Amino acid sequence: MDSVLHKEYTVVQDDYVNAGKVSSDIKSTLSEIGVSPKVLRKIAVACYEAEINLIIHAYGGKVTVDVTDDGVIHLEFKDPGPGIPDLEKALTPGWSTASEKARGMGFGAGMGLPNIQRVSDGFHIESSQKGTTLSLEFRTAI
Amino acid sequence: MRKSVVHYTLERCIRCMKCVKACPTSALSMENDRVIIDQQRCINCGRCIMSCHNRGILAQGSTLEDIQNYDYTICLVPGALISHCATLEEAEDLFHAIRMLGFNEVVDITQYTALHLKEVSLLAEENEGDPYIASFCPVIVKLIQNSHKSLLDSLLPVKCCSEIAAKDLRKKYSQYENLGIFNLCECESKLELAKYPYGNPQYEVDHALALTDIFPLIRKNMHKGRDEVSFCKEGLQVCNPHRIVRQDGFLIADGFDKVCNVLDMAEFGLLNEFKLMILYPCFNGCIGGHMLWGNSFLATNNIDALTARNTKKAADLSFDDLYTDEYGKDDDDNRSFIERTRFFKAVNEEFERLPGYDCSACGMQTCRIMAEEIVKGNRTEDDCRVMKALKENAQ
Repeated sequence: MDSVLHKEYTVVQDDYVNAGKVSSDIKSTLSEIGVSPKVLRKIAVACYEAEINLIIHAYGGKVTVDVTDDGVIHLEFKDPGPGIPDLEKALTPGWSTASEKARGMGFGAGMGLPNIQRVSDGFHIESSQKGTTLSLEFRTAI
Repeated sequence: MRKSVVHYTLERCIRCMKCVKACPTSALSMENDRVIIDQQRCINCGRCIMSCHNRGILAQGSTLEDIQNYDYTICLVPGALISHCATLEEAEDLFHAIRMLGFNEVVDITQYTALHLKEVSLLAEENEGDPYIASFCPVIVKLIQNSHKSLLDSLLPVKCCSEIAAKDLRKKYSQYENLGIFNLCECESKLELAKYPYGNPQYEVDHALALTDIFPLIRKNMHKGRDEVSFCKEGLQVCNPHRIVRQDGFLIADGFDKVCNVLDMAEFGLLNEFKLMILYPCFNGCIGGHMLWGNSFLATNNIDALTARNTKKAADLSFDDLYTDEYGKDDDDNRSFIERTRFFKAVNEEFERLPGYDCSACGMQTCRIMAEEIVKGNRTEDDCRVMKALKENAQ
């Protein structure tokens, strides 16, 4: 199992203007290496939600993409805080702590994490006041 | 195998690289002082043609000489061309002038455009899932096939309007064994949708004519008579994003960058409240196509004037005549995931070594494309002028 792709991105807090740029790049990169369209669609949805989370809720963060030659795509979204106070609530559809500013721009409908969980093949989240790490896994036919 | 309609003329090229830089899909490159067009990457959007100030890059259609090969000839006229007439009288003059080029009949395709819109609107009404994408424009179809593959399932498999028209006309004129259908194209992307000159036998249209080639000839025939014409209002309105009949849940966008942005958003699942997307890569829709000579804002007003009176109904055709199975076809890339990822990894490593200025001095649009060419073995690092200069300075 060899790594075929490793890419890192930085997402800046409250940078709404560039929201989606990282997801866009990840999408076209994975398309280029031949990830099937159906899987690509799921990754696009999850990746965008998670990227927006870093912008709205966290103090920015880092996104890492790793692909191995067995067709496993691993995405990691790591932020330095402030952490999700009640993870169980955050995984409930409709629950949101997004600011008025974010809601006014059409973000923060409270479907972020539940949506991500719904589309991903592997979902793992850890959160404390020091930060949140969201790990996602997707599989594509090889 | 896809074919690009873009033609390059070496004698007119001043090697300014404007076309290479303008291409949104990185299909153009410069090799041995001439422009090379990647047939797979090209989506016939025409941006290179617009960028070229020396007419070195053009899209050409069939010539009028081909008319003599048929017993009976029909010329299809798109709504976008009609919308550049300010009055109905001007349109009558235009139709007469086109017929005088040697056609037996001139048919406007607005009734078929209206049929296309009616069909996609009906499908949209029943849509419960992700938004559908209308297939009026061949550039949109190619854009999705090339770089938004996950939206292929949402692309409605309805044929382009000229094809629907040609199919219907072949039935109506079945008494002519040798019927020639010519399509007067208002943009380069539609030139491909014909048997000639680009050799696509699957299409009903025989010849695609480029408006830029034919317009000077039409002009000579103007003010010599009038043919009776009547348009279908809904059909004529389709060629402009601000006039098209929209229903609840329609998302309509124009302009290349905005359209790409909408496709991205659709892939992120952000447009699920919509039922149908109608996308125009050209600003102000088909009437903003650069083969048309007029101003697209004026043309928008013309649509209102032309359709105020004298309108006819949408055409009525059977289901089978409207649909195609062409769009979902996979690309020619038969490489496995392993092969693709290996190639990608090698390209990445090469890309890291390149300077990353995207200066295009090597002839490639970006360092990324250059890295691909080096891995494919078509170029070497010595072809990079920046690296070469750095090497020479070090010695």
